[in-house]
Amino acid sequence: MLPFFDMPVDWRRFILILAGAVALGFAWNAASGRGIALGQSVLSQAGDELVKAPDAKALLDKGALFLDARPRDFWKLSRIPGSLSLPEEDFDRAFQEVEPRLRRAGTIVVYCSGYGCDASHVVARKLREKGIAAAILDEGLPAWQDAQLPLDSQARP
Amino acid sequence: MTRLLASPRVQLVLRLLLGAFFVYASLDKIASPAGFARIVYQWQVAGPLPSNLAAVTLPWLELVAGLLLVIGVWRREAALVIALLLVVFLVAAGSVLARGIDVTNCGCFSVAKEAADSGWPPAWTKGVGWFLVVRNLLLLAAALSLAFVKPRAGERRGLPAAEQAGFTPASE
Repeated sequence: MLPFFDMPVDWRRFILILAGAVALGFAWNAASGRGIALGQSVLSQAGDELVKAPDAKALLDKGALFLDARPRDFWKLSRIPGSLSLPEEDFDRAFQEVEPRLRRAGTIVVYCSGYGCDASHVVARKLREKGIAAAILDEGLPAWQDAQLPLDSQARP
Repeated sequence: MTRLLASPRVQLVLRLLLGAFFVYASLDKIASPAGFARIVYQWQVAGPLPSNLAAVTLPWLELVAGLLLVIGVWRREAALVIALLLVVFLVAAGSVLARGIDVTNCGCFSVAKEAADSGWPPAWTKGVGWFLVVRNLLLLAAALSLAFVKPRAGERRGLPAAEQAGFTPASE
């Protein structure tokens, strides 16, 4: 062994630091008032209704209306079949275009690009404020594609 | 190089810098667990629930290990905890880069949502990119040297020159 690298690391201390810090983290999360609900996506809030991709496909087959909360250019390139564009960033104007269809629709499902994207959550909440119930596609388009579900990728003007 | 890293003065400076860096890095994340959890999730390394667990615990590992380094208690073990964190961060960053995922705020220091680009600090220091990888490799080198390089005893304890040259006492 090189005289330099004598590695006098005390592994009990190492484990204690790890365990202590993790315990502090959970305690802070529980008691600080800033904590998050560990059991659900941080993007979700009370009142959000999430629907898994296969269930969403069943709704689509029964005629549910899908809303694409991504920027419109993404919707133009590819989308869940029959979906309308209702971008979060342009909600107020786009909502006026589609409001009559939304008021007539039975079931509505909103999606965006999944993962850190919370546009679908935001759009669903804004719709709720306007008295329109809408479910959110859990994990968004990646989950839809992972489940081998169809996309309409004909370019739209 | 190892001679330099074994200098007690160099080790003190590295220890204070590395410790302060990680204490500072932990604060905004501890103040805003939801914001940090969102960023961990955006890395797409873990699903929503593991991301929550990481977001709740990682900043406290940074804070506790950073504080121990700064005050000089259990410093080898604290340096090793930081080295472990850096390895996790590097593997995650490598995965993000390999998959071509665009993470514009790595969540390293601030968890603020995208503000208008202020120009400073430049965007390439905030996202997940090569700057982050190189910085973390340098920090990892510092952490490993603090954990494993034995400080030269002679300068501190006034041991004979023969021991400064590399002869370690039999006991220890």
